[in-house]
Amino acid sequence: MRLSVIGWELPPIFSGGLGVHTINIFSIINKMIDVTVYVPDIEGLSDEYPFNVKKIKFNTENLNKYINNQSKKSENKNYYNIYPYYNNLKIKNINFNNFDFKDFNEMIYYYNKSVIECFDRNTDVIHCHDWITFDAGVELKEKYGVPLVITVHSTEIDRSGNFFPQKYIMDIEKKGIKNADKIIAVSDYTKNMIIDNYDADKDKITVVYNGIDSDFIDTAYKDYNLHKNILYFGRVTTQKGPKFFLEAAEKVIKYFPDVKFIIAGTGDLINDMKVLAKELKIENNVIFTGFISLNNKIKYFKDADVFVLPAVSEPFGISVIEAMGMGIPTVISNTTGVGEALYNVFKCDFYDTDLMAEYIIGLLKHQGLRETMGANGQIEARKFTWNNAAIKTMGVYKSIFEGVKHE
Amino acid sequence: MSDNVLFYFEVHQPKRLRLYRLNEINKNHDYFWNEKNKEIFLRISNDSYIKTTKLLMENNIEASFSISGTVIEQALEYNTKVIDAFDDYFRSGLGELLDETYYHSLSSIFDKDEFIEQIKQHRNLMKKTFNIEPESFRNTELIYNDGISETVKSLGYKNIITEGTDDIIKYYNPNYLYKSTSNLNLLLRNYKLSDDISFRFSNHAWNEFPLTADKYASWIKKTPGDFINLFMDYETFGEHQKESTGIFQFLKYLPLEFKKNDIKFIKINGAKKFKNHGIISVKDAISWADTDRNLNPWIGNEMQKEAFNKLISLKNNKNKKLWRYLQTSDNLYYLSTGKPEDMEVHNYFNPYKSPYNAFLSYMNILDDFDYNYFG
Repeated sequence: MRLSVIGWELPPIFSGGLGVHTINIFSIINKMIDVTVYVPDIEGLSDEYPFNVKKIKFNTENLNKYINNQSKKSENKNYYNIYPYYNNLKIKNINFNNFDFKDFNEMIYYYNKSVIECFDRNTDVIHCHDWITFDAGVELKEKYGVPLVITVHSTEIDRSGNFFPQKYIMDIEKKGIKNADKIIAVSDYTKNMIIDNYDADKDKITVVYNGIDSDFIDTAYKDYNLHKNILYFGRVTTQKGPKFFLEAAEKVIKYFPDVKFIIAGTGDLINDMKVLAKELKIENNVIFTGFISLNNKIKYFKDADVFVLPAVSEPFGISVIEAMGMGIPTVISNTTGVGEALYNVFKCDFYDTDLMAEYIIGLLKHQGLRETMGANGQIEARKFTWNNAAIKTMGVYKSIFEGVKHE
Repeated sequence: MSDNVLFYFEVHQPKRLRLYRLNEINKNHDYFWNEKNKEIFLRISNDSYIKTTKLLMENNIEASFSISGTVIEQALEYNTKVIDAFDDYFRSGLGELLDETYYHSLSSIFDKDEFIEQIKQHRNLMKKTFNIEPESFRNTELIYNDGISETVKSLGYKNIITEGTDDIIKYYNPNYLYKSTSNLNLLLRNYKLSDDISFRFSNHAWNEFPLTADKYASWIKKTPGDFINLFMDYETFGEHQKESTGIFQFLKYLPLEFKKNDIKFIKINGAKKFKNHGIISVKDAISWADTDRNLNPWIGNEMQKEAFNKLISLKNNKNKKLWRYLQTSDNLYYLSTGKPEDMEVHNYFNPYKSPYNAFLSYMNILDDFDYNYFG
């Protein structure tokens, strides 16, 4: 079997969720079948990957044609820059020939067209990841009659925190979901999300959980002495609910005046959060770290007493199992997908900052609680492996052909 | 070849504590989950206690019972017919009553005086309720060691029961009579044959499913020993194993099948006629719970230890009765995270859904108790 994966990013340049997922899962799948991954050709990609990589160059001549078409389509459209979610390729640094795209959507449109042009039809399955690759997948399926699998890592509704989702993107997502032969959702939460909001056929959907990187498991034993650090780690966007983190912080600080609340990450809400911290008069307790590299990430995790993810809508939430993998007690919102498979965490509604604060206070007060939840959480996080994810994904590919046999 | 069967049933329901929030501390001293307690007690008294006791009487099945103080209190409050049914049964001569701690507590493992006090309270309650003075004793969840048996002996009891753990039955067949180091008659639970009824009866994946009375009687008959100790929760009948599983039919047909095999029912006091097979010493505390059969279900994890230490530290308080309700072992059992193989049982019994939520709530209550009744 030959598999063509249409991707968006690969480490080391980006460490976004999609890149991490792609390299982990397809390096394992490539041991079983031939895998080719398509990604934009940008500076900083490695020369070698544990699977074939086709780096897609942008062809200037065609670019004009596509962009003209595309611009008409997206005219008068409200545009919100909520896409730090996907790595918004910094156009000047890459081989996109200095083209100045009007917006992120236009860049995606062009990337998809380029993939179609360069596509090697000698393949048995196409596997696309999120709306940024769905157009190419759907068109290639029609053109060559190759079955299409899509993975929904997130939806426009999640990314916007259901706050002005872009119809243009939702339409692409709907098209992908409608045309795919099989759909992989990263949680039951996402499965239900696409059934309810995108009319997905539930029989096409398989849930495959993400795995955890060994970096977060092979660390030294967690000490449960009180460090008085509460950690938020992730993009500072509406989707992740940093506002609720600060609202809970205000309530915790009444009990523990010297606890630090660390917002580690960047995003479009960062200035709003700085303003909010001042308004709540807790600016001396809140630390904004800016972007954190992987090495520093582990350090921040180690020094944390509690990890909090108050996401408004999080399809999976890989940082939750990373934190747990390091033995950190964790508080998450009920709208965090991975929570459905977790027992050793505290869960509350993202807006219920009273309860969120109560959980944090409880963890700060009781070392026995920190130790028990931390140690059990560590064991629980280990059940999320990339091997399991890869094997389950292989099962989805196989099911396409088994289906054909029975017909 | 065993010709005798000894049924012992634990009748216990805690007075459950409600979910108690942080902001209630120092404001609200009402800890009990009355609504839930009433709902559960009414359900169990109808589906299990009354129905089973009547069935035992109608079919002349002898059995021994321990009934916790928190059950008697809830029966008086919610359904006195439970007491009437037991009273009829004991008066008929079929039943034997054991003592335990009034509050079904862990006092035996932290304070001897407290342990004795709670046993005396239970003794008074049994006298008052059923006019019975038990000669046999069972500790909370069959928690047992030599020290506990010494204390029990000092109070005048003749018999004590505990678990036939793997460590014990390696050397001692549980189907014989033994002596404790304190010279009490010591009876050991046969966990295999007990669990066949209490855990496996309705398990379709079990290769012996379905369990019928004649099959079970044949197992008893061919098991070597003098008598088989079948010790289990009374709620096995009608609650853990619902009526639809056929558990009552099974129980009803047992006497018939036993009769065919010449197997008799005996009570704990009736076991003393058998030959004593030696003294068993138990140093570290054992119990009948979980796969480890030790104290881990109550004080196994760090959070349970923290809660337990806090509970003990509140001894010198102005509200002993309330403090003793807080000691009921279930309160700590709900905080257990257990081993994965025990999680199913723990989740089944946990009304708070999560041991972590149960912990926070329990600690909030202990804090409130601390501020208001301590010292």
